[in-house]
Order: sequence, then structure tokens, then C-alpha cells
Amino acid sequence: MAVIALKDVKKTFGAVNVIGNVNLEIADGEFVIFVGPSGSGKSTLLRLVAGLEDTTGGQILIDGADVTNLGPAERELSMVFQSSALYPTKTVRQNMSFGLEVQGLPKPQIRERVDRVAEVLKLTEYMDRKPKALSGGQRQRVAIGRAIVREPVAFLFDEPLSNLDAALRVEMRIEIAKLHQRLGSTMIYVTHDQVEAMTLADKIVVLDRGDIQQVGSPMELYERPANLFVAQFIGSPKMNVLPGRTDGNAIAIANNGAIPLGSKAPDGIVKVGSRPENIALVPEAEGHIRGTIDVVERLGSDTFAYVAVEGLETVTVRIVGNAANVGVGQKIGLTFDPQQLHLFAADGKVLGR
Amino acid sequence: MTIVGKTKSSPGFVRSRWLLTGVLGIYFIYTFLPLIYVITASTKTNPDLFTSFGLWFSSDFHLWQNLSDLFTIQNGIFLQWLWNTFYYALVSGLGSAVFATFAGYAFAKYDFFGKKFLFALVLGAVMIPQTALVIPIFLLLSKIGLLNTPLAVILPSLVFPPGVFLMRAYVDEAVSNEIIDAGRVDGAGEFHIFSSLAFRMLMPGVTTVFILSFVASWNNYFLPLVVLNSTEHFPVTVGLAQWYASAVSGSGGSLLFTVVMAGALVSILPVIIAFLIMQRFWQGGLGAGGVKA
Repeated sequence: MAVIALKDVKKTFGAVNVIGNVNLEIADGEFVIFVGPSGSGKSTLLRLVAGLEDTTGGQILIDGADVTNLGPAERELSMVFQSSALYPTKTVRQNMSFGLEVQGLPKPQIRERVDRVAEVLKLTEYMDRKPKALSGGQRQRVAIGRAIVREPVAFLFDEPLSNLDAALRVEMRIEIAKLHQRLGSTMIYVTHDQVEAMTLADKIVVLDRGDIQQVGSPMELYERPANLFVAQFIGSPKMNVLPGRTDGNAIAIANNGAIPLGSKAPDGIVKVGSRPENIALVPEAEGHIRGTIDVVERLGSDTFAYVAVEGLETVTVRIVGNAANVGVGQKIGLTFDPQQLHLFAADGKVLGR
Repeated sequence: MTIVGKTKSSPGFVRSRWLLTGVLGIYFIYTFLPLIYVITASTKTNPDLFTSFGLWFSSDFHLWQNLSDLFTIQNGIFLQWLWNTFYYALVSGLGSAVFATFAGYAFAKYDFFGKKFLFALVLGAVMIPQTALVIPIFLLLSKIGLLNTPLAVILPSLVFPPGVFLMRAYVDEAVSNEIIDAGRVDGAGEFHIFSSLAFRMLMPGVTTVFILSFVASWNNYFLPLVVLNSTEHFPVTVGLAQWYASAVSGSGGSLLFTVVMAGALVSILPVIIAFLIMQRFWQGGLGAGGVKA
């Protein structure tokens, strides 16, 4: 049974429709990530689940009970905020105890719980400090501690790593992953960073302008995106999308060449997508399309070649390792793996799946 | 070739600095002249007050005698006035700070029907001079039978629109919505969030409003003049004005001018001391935005 279920949830702010009709089920222990660009409604959706915003329509159920009209604490959820939102005039211990004091738990029990969680998160030596005496990473750990201590039905995270520097972000990401493994709790996490989404999630919900574009595991979304938006949002560097059209057993790429398929190409193709790792650099004459290498980026583990193709946008190609024979200005052919093509119709939806 | 901007020694800069110093100097003199007069006048005997140079001490240093007279005239009524002033100002200051904080918090953090209109009213109230309101307040107090009581001065002083305006801006800066949300998620009710989380974060602003209201109350003359008529309820402002009026008319004896001057000096000292002590809170409060979690 789903631990958290959203049925026909809608949210408008005045005349603006921020969340369209959202239906979603989250299973017990799942790590679900809401991902999308700015303004997609992911934070709003999280706040609706949390009870910090009222729905304009629809229902929210937790453990089968309708909690749509309940406040956040009554829903037994905990939340970790982007800025950690620690109470600045209270010590770390007081921050972590606050929620339990509000619940009316006896002091010895509060102390025991707080100490236990502090030990797990390695916060024991900071218990008497105030938030301003802590670093950004320490503050987020206290915020996580404050959430854990309440032993909620689910944890909600609102872009908790966005305010941290890059190295700390990687470290905290791993800590959150370990936390999920250890606690086994349901977690809903909001981020605009698709790397966080891909690495942490059991299930990703991709949102755009208040509507769910696709729900699935990271690999599902990567390998079988349902539409153009998801295809280009997931995966870094972005999927190459070229204009194309059906041409018998092949797909014609505007004025430049054609990609042969094994069988008849579906009708209604408007665009073709191929991820950088599914394109190969070949001698000019052998390629499906032809171009010139514009820029080469060498990262050591990968090489990215940015190929200028006449009449089209730059095509990104990924080569494993350091491709020494690839250089700027080279005239090159590109071949596309026909098994890994994504075909899009005029409405952006994927064809042939 | 480097292009050099204005440095400390360039003539244009030096000239403008001297001009600014000159203007500020004139303003300083304008502000402090009355204060210097009060200080020197309270050290003189009455004849000296009218014969010696106004802005400097006379040969006869009479301050202690004047102070002694001040606290003994009319059975030591001045001490009663001083206490009244302190009492009215303290209660009004605390009360108005608390209410202004409630209102400022509500305006800053909540959305409710009529919010814009109500805030426009508050802004309008800031612009209305108190003298225009005193007669209607008099009539109100008369109807509820509170005239000539301490409450007649305190109750109207609990309303401090500039404080509401200040606190709204301060709450906006100092209390982030995420902290309030965190409190809600932790299960605290709105008032609990305000009292145990937000209020402590607002202390610099609250202190600022307290000081401004305290000083306004301390210096208030017209309201107590209108709503009080028994000498024992007077604050220092009304009492001294009464003494001054009788000194002018000659009925109280010529002693009174110097006593009035000494009284004026004593009445401003507590506020100056309070300002100096509270300085660190006051500066923090007016420079809103310096507090960040």
C-alpha cells in the first residue's frame, strides 16, 4: 500500500495554475525525487505534501488516511530546508529538542533520543553551540538531526544541498544516501540538480510547469524518456536533438544525411535524439551526417567533441578516455547507434515505444 | 599614463570635506546651544541668570543649592513628577513595543483580508500629528471616566504607529519564512512560533521601538496637559511648565526660574543615560538586516 498518495492534487495562486492535476503514489521506504527546472512547481508540490500550503483541489493521503486538512506536524512528517532553517537563538541541542518538547515528550526521553541521533550524525561535540558557530555542512547535519529525532512517517528535503559548495555537496549527498539505507524511511527530495536525482533516487518525478512529465527509476528515465522534455532534462551533457523526418527505412536529417534503421521508420517523426555516448566519430565519408570538430574538452576520464554540423545545432559526442586522435578543425563523420535513437513526434512525445 | 581619481589630499576633496564639516558644525551648535544654556543656567542664582553671560557659568556656582530647592519645593513634588514620568514612559514604552511587534509580525508574515488597507491606515496614522488627536482622545477618556488617572496618559501612548512600521520592516529582514515553516513542521502553533522563536530574533528591533516610544512618552507634554489636572499625577513636562508659568507671572517668587532650569536639566539626564546604555541595541535595530541566521 502506498504510504503517501496524491489524488488529483491542484494548486493555484490567484489566477496562476502552479500545479496541474497531479496523481502520484509513493511506496513505503522509497526515495522519491521531484526534479525539474525553476518554476516547475516541485517545491510547491513538496510544500503541499508537507502541509505548509493548502491544496486548491484534490486529496493527500498518508497511510490511507486523508490528511488534506491537517497541518504539517499532525501529518507526522519532517522537513529539511535549503537554508537549514535552524532556530538561531537556540543551541544545537535545543534545536533538536524543540519538536519533541512541543509534542510534550518527557525530558529524559527527549534527551536520550537527541543524544542518540547526535551520535549517529557525529554532532555530539557541537551540542551547546549556536547555529552561527557552525559551518554550512554542520548546520545541514543538525537540520537532518532535527528531522530524524521526530521519527516521522516520511522525510521531506527541499533542495538541502543547493547552498553548499561543490565538494561538500558530494559529501552530503553520500551521507543522505547512507542515511536512507540505514533508516529505510520514505524520503521525498526536491532538487533542480539532475545528478543528485540520478544518484539518490529510487524513483524520479520529472515536473515541468506544474505537470508531471514522467515518473520512473533513474535508468528508465535515462534510457526510455517519454518525451522531449525528459529526454533533454535528464543526462549531462544533454541529449542531442536534431530535426528529422521519416524516410522509408531511414530517418532523414535535414539536408545532411540519413540514419538507416533495420525496419520501417514510424510515421510522424519530427525530431531525433541521440545521447553523446551513442554517437561515434568516423571518417567523413562513412558517417550518417558530416561536420567539423569545433571544440574538444578533455576531462581525463572522458573526451567531449563538439561538432559543428551545417544547418544544425552543435552535436556533442562522448568518447571514453583521452581520444588523442581527435582535434579541432577535423572534418568528421557521425554515426548514430540505431538501437539507441529516440524518435519524437510534433507534440514532443516519443514514438515507437 | 594612469588616471587618478579623487584622493584624500586632492583640493576638491579637501574643500568639500571642510564645507561638510562647517555645515555639520553649525548644526551641532544649533542643537547644543539650548542644552549648554540649560546646564549653565541651572548652576546660577536667579539674579545671575539675568545678568551674566547666558552661555557660560557665573562666578557664583549655585548648582547644589538649586538642586536642593528643586527637590524640596512644594513638599518635594518634583520627585513625584519624576517618578510619574518614569512610570508612564516605562509602561508605555514596553507596552507599545510589544504591541508594535505583534502588529509588525502580523503585517510581515501573514496574509489576511484588508491587510493592505490596514497598513495604509497605519502609515496614515504615522503622519497625523499627536496634537490633532489629543482632543478626541480627551473626549474618549472622559466618556469612560479615565480622565486624571495614569491610564489617561498610558493607554493612548500604547499606540505607536511608527513602531509598527519599523517592526514590520525589521521582521521582514530578521525572521525568514523558512524558520517559521520549520517551527510549523515541528508542530508549534503560530503564537508559540512567535513567542519562543521569532521574538528573541527580534530583540534589537523591539529595543529600538522601546527606546523611541520611551523617549516620546518622556517628552510628551500636550497629552498629559490635557488629560490630567491633579498635580500629583503630572509628569515632569507639565509640572515644569506650570512652575515656569507661575515664575513668569511672578506669583511663585523669583526663585522659580533657576529651579525650573535645574528641573529641566534633571529631567533630561535619565534619557541621555538610557540612550548611552542602550546604544548597542539601538544601532543594531535601526540598521535592520544585520541579523542573519
